[in-house]
Amino acid sequence: MSIVLQKVPRTILVLIGLILFGLIRTPFEDNARKGLVDSGMLLPPPGLSAMDQLSQSALMGTLGGLRSLVATYLVLEAYEHFSNKDWEELRNTYNVVVALEPYDESHWVSATWHLGINATANMELDEKLPKFERDRRFKEYAFQGIEFAERGMEQLPESYAIPVQMAEIYREKLEDNCATARVYKNAMDLPGAPGYLRRFYGYFLANCPGSEQEAYDHLIGLYREGRHQHKATLIKEIKNLEKKLDIPWSLRISDPDPDVESMKRRNRPESLPGGLSLPQ
Amino acid sequence: MSEESSEKSLRAPAKAVPLFSFARVWTIASSTVTQLVRMKTFYFLLAFALIIVGIGNFNIPATPAKELSMIKKVAFGTMDLFAWLFAIISTALLIPRDQEDRTLYTILSKPVRRIEYLFGKLFGVLAVVATSLVAMFVICAIMIYSRETLYVSAEIQAMEANAQYTPEEMQAQVELIRQQGLRPELTVAVLASFLKASVVAAVTIFISTFASSSLFTIIISILVFLIGHAHSLLSNYWTTQTDNIFVIQAVKVIKVIIPNFQLFSFSEGIVQGAPIIAAVLWQMVGLTGGYLIVYVLLSLLVFVDKEF
Amino acid sequence: MSELAVEVKNLTKVFATGLLKQYVVAVDNLSFDVKAGEVYGLIGPNGSGKSTTMKVVLGLMAPSKGSAKVFGLDSGDIRARNEIGFLPENPYFYKHLSGAETLKFYGKLCGLKGSELKDRIGYLLDLVGLEEAADRRLGGYSKGMLQRIGLAQTLIQNPRLVILDEPTAGVDPVGSRQIRDLILRLREDGFTVFLCSHLLEQVQEVCDRVGIIFKGRMRREGQLDELISVEDQHAMTLEGASPELIEKIHALVEEEKGAKLIESGHPRTTLERLFISIAGDKEKGEKS
Repeated sequence: MSIVLQKVPRTILVLIGLILFGLIRTPFEDNARKGLVDSGMLLPPPGLSAMDQLSQSALMGTLGGLRSLVATYLVLEAYEHFSNKDWEELRNTYNVVVALEPYDESHWVSATWHLGINATANMELDEKLPKFERDRRFKEYAFQGIEFAERGMEQLPESYAIPVQMAEIYREKLEDNCATARVYKNAMDLPGAPGYLRRFYGYFLANCPGSEQEAYDHLIGLYREGRHQHKATLIKEIKNLEKKLDIPWSLRISDPDPDVESMKRRNRPESLPGGLSLPQ
Repeated sequence: MSEESSEKSLRAPAKAVPLFSFARVWTIASSTVTQLVRMKTFYFLLAFALIIVGIGNFNIPATPAKELSMIKKVAFGTMDLFAWLFAIISTALLIPRDQEDRTLYTILSKPVRRIEYLFGKLFGVLAVVATSLVAMFVICAIMIYSRETLYVSAEIQAMEANAQYTPEEMQAQVELIRQQGLRPELTVAVLASFLKASVVAAVTIFISTFASSSLFTIIISILVFLIGHAHSLLSNYWTTQTDNIFVIQAVKVIKVIIPNFQLFSFSEGIVQGAPIIAAVLWQMVGLTGGYLIVYVLLSLLVFVDKEF
Repeated sequence: MSELAVEVKNLTKVFATGLLKQYVVAVDNLSFDVKAGEVYGLIGPNGSGKSTTMKVVLGLMAPSKGSAKVFGLDSGDIRARNEIGFLPENPYFYKHLSGAETLKFYGKLCGLKGSELKDRIGYLLDLVGLEEAADRRLGGYSKGMLQRIGLAQTLIQNPRLVILDEPTAGVDPVGSRQIRDLILRLREDGFTVFLCSHLLEQVQEVCDRVGIIFKGRMRREGQLDELISVEDQHAMTLEGASPELIEKIHALVEEEKGAKLIESGHPRTTLERLFISIAGDKEKGEKS
């Protein structure tokens, strides 16, 4: 051993040591990396497109193990773009944010909300642009929001918040009841999903042409679960469907029509959570 | 002159000294702690506290839970940054400075093995880094907890004013905020930052054994640290962008030689609420131990032949 | 045969310098011994290889060839270093530590602890006259105080061998005289002293034996009297001699065949002695 130490130059020995340690630790590190990434403790490497878009300082920060810091800074920057109604920049910034922190559900929800709801609303109001251009951009932003949500759902298949935000675009902006129902259906069985999603699925399916029978089966199933499901909107939708599908009287629910009742009591009907209006 | 008799008689042989002594490592480590404390390095904690107060007063346009989550991420990210930067700078100031000031000369002329000196310096730095991390965590915890309490009471007030939420619904909302607040799991994030800073300190000690000055050590260490974060990037990006066999081989060599620091950035995931898998955590602790031992031995390989 | 404190055998030290790895021989096949209890001076001009030899003995450098032993132990062995107290030319210590903390640090490195260490620190601080400054940080010490704390550090583990590197370099003559006295006291107390110096005068007053090293090689070695006495000459110093007596002596020398008077006149003191006597007189005058 001492002969080796005397005869071989130290630089060579150190290099051999580094290489040997590198080779030994690589399989351990690969294993640990897998465990860390699978559990979500370690963020996966940012995508190539995100790396291209990072500014030099953000890239250094990312390389310095400060991805969360960079991501938070970019979220604040995105809010600036939102304030300035700079939607292209906002989209680019969120592309980097979600690449840096793909497991943070709120980034996906925020990006979907900004593009699908805020940017489209801005197109409805922006008088500076010609009508045709506004209509075109309205659709473009709505679909960009949906695309963000789809990517988020792929990344976080357990998240119900992302499809709920996506459904809002279909419902409020594109007024596509069938798509809205489809998205709610995907979201309603996810872990932690709120109970109203099951009713919403039924309500929008009821207004999706050709799906009335399916909607009726679903809603009547909910109705039979018990009194806690006997919301005014649910009863109203069932009554509408009973008429549309010409359900025999013996099978129809006995509750009075909530609209008629409310007229009588001069009470307001049940409003949807978040003050949403029901589709026509 | 001496307590011995004045008549000329030869002195007795010295007491036997052990070939390796943890007591000597401990002596050097505690002297390193004193050195770093008296160099007023803890002033950086003051800077950290100011930054944290600043972060705590962020007015982020988001829901309380989201805002708390962002504050927490920035606070812990800053803590991680301070920890590894502190590890590099303080380590780089120690050995090269002992060489420049020739204090090493007097230390190594006592019965001290060079490996004891290296381990002593490393443990001293780690003790200071650990203490700093605990202090930084306390600062963060106070800030996060005060924000959390503020948000919770504001939300309860708002929900009570609305009068349409059941106690269960209110509890669920409070829980949503609490999940982003001060959770016991965050201490594991501090441990993660400590593991990273430990590896950084060991690598810096290695670099400082052949570097000529503190500044050179700091620059090279930071460079190695940055490259160490690009492991997966190197394989995913540069190797897919080129057919150049030289570049591909160079990337492979870098991956083998430079430590994989990216792997040690798992405090981010924990702060974001990822579940902590004990087995993986132990794996990382083991890996850190491996890095410390190997890098101190490599340092010794250079240092043992160093002539002063 | 008395025990050997230092045993250097065929020591060669080669340094490679520059990128082109040019080799410089700093010490060339050097051999000498230092016996236990003696004061040995290794003298030679700057760059002659003294410091390199000393560093090999201290274990700070490894020999390229040959060996160096301290009380029979290889100089690279840390047990050998426990037998050595080393005072560098300029004491290099942590400026953030106080005098007492410095001694505690070095004492602990030598394995001392508890009351033994505490007593030793107290004794040494008293010895070097730094009790008052014990709790002051070294950053605020003067050069003389640093030298003294350095000396205390040298003796902390009560070593058998004391190595002094240029002990009087940069020290004023009074300080220099104190150090010489100290070396003599160390010898009295049974320490072995090995010192390196380029100042021949200081060495000649304290060393039992000296080695003269030049360009890495031992040129002369032996007892000081032997080295500096001129066998075929004889010196005589007279006091109160009349000019007539001097005349007579001159005549007697001329009568003797083969004898020759080489020098005659008033003896001169050394400049150093003159300075010390003046300084001593001045101090006495001020006190009176």
